[in-house]
Amino acid sequence: MDTLVNVAHGFGVALLPINLLYCFIGVFIGTLVGVLPGIGPISAMSLLLPVTLSGTPESGIIMMAGIYYGSMYGGSTTSILVNIPGEAASVVTCIDGHQMAKQGRAGPALGISAFGSFIAGTFALIALMLVAPRLASVAIAFGPAEYFSLMVLGLVVLTFLTQGSMPKALLMACIGVVLGLIGLDSITAQPRLTFGRMELIDGIGLVPVVMGLFGVAEVLLNTEQAIKRDIINTRITHLLPTKEDWKASAGPVGRGTILGFFLGILPGGGAVVASFASYALEKRLSKTPERFGHGAIEGVAGPESANNAAAGGAFIPLMTLGIPPNVVMALLLGAFVIHGLQPGPLLITQNPGLFWGIVASMYIGNVMLLVLNLPMIGMWVQLLKLPYNILFPLIILFTILGVYCSSNNVFDVYVMIAFGIIGYFMRKLGYEPAPLVLAFVLGPMMENNLRKSLILSQGDLWTFVQRPISAVCLTFALVLLIAPLLPSLRKKRELVALDEGA
Amino acid sequence: MNNQTNVKLRLSNSELWGGLIGLALGGFVIWSGMKLKLGTINDPGSGYVLFYTGILMCVFAGAIIVSALTDGAPTLASRWENVRWSKPLLLIACLVAFSVALEPLGFLLSSIPLMLLLLRLIDPVRWTMAIPIAVLAPTGMWWVLKRLLLIQLPSGLFGIG
Repeated sequence: MDTLVNVAHGFGVALLPINLLYCFIGVFIGTLVGVLPGIGPISAMSLLLPVTLSGTPESGIIMMAGIYYGSMYGGSTTSILVNIPGEAASVVTCIDGHQMAKQGRAGPALGISAFGSFIAGTFALIALMLVAPRLASVAIAFGPAEYFSLMVLGLVVLTFLTQGSMPKALLMACIGVVLGLIGLDSITAQPRLTFGRMELIDGIGLVPVVMGLFGVAEVLLNTEQAIKRDIINTRITHLLPTKEDWKASAGPVGRGTILGFFLGILPGGGAVVASFASYALEKRLSKTPERFGHGAIEGVAGPESANNAAAGGAFIPLMTLGIPPNVVMALLLGAFVIHGLQPGPLLITQNPGLFWGIVASMYIGNVMLLVLNLPMIGMWVQLLKLPYNILFPLIILFTILGVYCSSNNVFDVYVMIAFGIIGYFMRKLGYEPAPLVLAFVLGPMMENNLRKSLILSQGDLWTFVQRPISAVCLTFALVLLIAPLLPSLRKKRELVALDEGA
Repeated sequence: MNNQTNVKLRLSNSELWGGLIGLALGGFVIWSGMKLKLGTINDPGSGYVLFYTGILMCVFAGAIIVSALTDGAPTLASRWENVRWSKPLLLIACLVAFSVALEPLGFLLSSIPLMLLLLRLIDPVRWTMAIPIAVLAPTGMWWVLKRLLLIQLPSGLFGIG
């Protein structure tokens, strides 16, 4: 009953005209960046982070959340029609989605992708409503040791799932921690690694780091090759899947939804892992696995549902524990902090309007996305024809302005350009930026919790092992760290490794 | 990968360089941590986490170096094989020039040439299209930010913008 009252309260907030407008802007921009290859939700969210300052916290966060789950919808359009994933979570959709489009079945592919996304998104929201308040009440009992161990687990899971060698990913995570510690020590107020520069006293901003590593570096990488696009030119008809399509897709949508939701909750996991896992599961369960790769609708329905469910599930650790499970959620944490809010166990009780308003807006956003992605599909197809030699300079201009506006500081523009160049060379040498960014956000929190737990336990390291939740997290982290040393597990890791860059 | 692009004990080994940079960074972080004071395990100081993170960095960098020397790795040149390496290089040069010019020239006088260069250098856009975009996009953004959102952009020594 309480949940229903809270949901009604949430809809009261979400249905305010200003919040509806922000929600629409969010899902529209999300679909846009999802459709356009080369720009992902991370770049778009970091670009728009300063804009959230102009409105209420609800409006800003509703818009940021909309960009994230909106990009999950939009990403499939490019994958199906152009065979280029709009964002990383839609990589798998290319395999069967584009084959379906080549066989003249672009309509059903786009249709099942949108409906599957809607069903999964709705399920994830209901689960979020039910799970988050309960988890938050448990999380109140968490101490610094539990928080520290959870963050360690999150970082280790992400490094485990990152493409390339694990030492490289771990090195990136360590560099992220160090970068996050630049500035005044939160306990002693001693400046660290500031090199005497006043601009570094408050540390390096998240926006210039993310915009540099994901925005500028992505453009630099894309300019290396002339982007060839094989756009399906036939008119897109029959967006509504047939009875047979539904019959074939019902199972994959259901399984993808549940699998995606739980993988989304896991620290370090997220939409990309969920879509890959769902594809692998469907192929394994299928009686005719040979159809996969040749236009099997299950290969579109499962992963697309999974990535949307994961996008919803990823809100749970952020909202209830205050721990972002992935880079996108780290940016959302940045939006909360900008408004002086701290997500965590007390958020739901102290700011019920904010929490339930965001949840309700996500439901409204899902309905908006269904309308944006089905009847208006033609508009997005036209957008795919926008020449990249015009788009890339504009992205550079927007990133410069976005970074400058986030702090009114030219120094941040220099930081962004520097990280853009570093990010380009990192990617060329096979170093993924995702662990660095997540560690950059988690680093100061990890340090704080580590030092607090050591002070509280009077230097007793056993405190991390004696507390059950902490011990479980550290054990999992240890298993994942050791796993790549075993040849059979190393092969499995290579199979699920992902590229979070896009 | 053939023998020319996959090398072990060579200076052109790209993984070796990545590991060495990581090792140097790790060493610097350890030194910074020690300089900031480690404190004790009962009361960790400002450099405590930095110091141990630096040690971990050296361990991971060491693992990268060992793997580069035992398994071999692609050469630095092979990382840029079959790609238009001059394009990102030009883009980097443009961005560095822009960052140098931004404060003295201001936003408008530095971003219009930047846009024009980017439009003509990456995959050349026709002059008739490049010039209007290069002028209108920064000017339009400047107008929106300055007039509508009241955000002051750098105006430089000439006070333009």
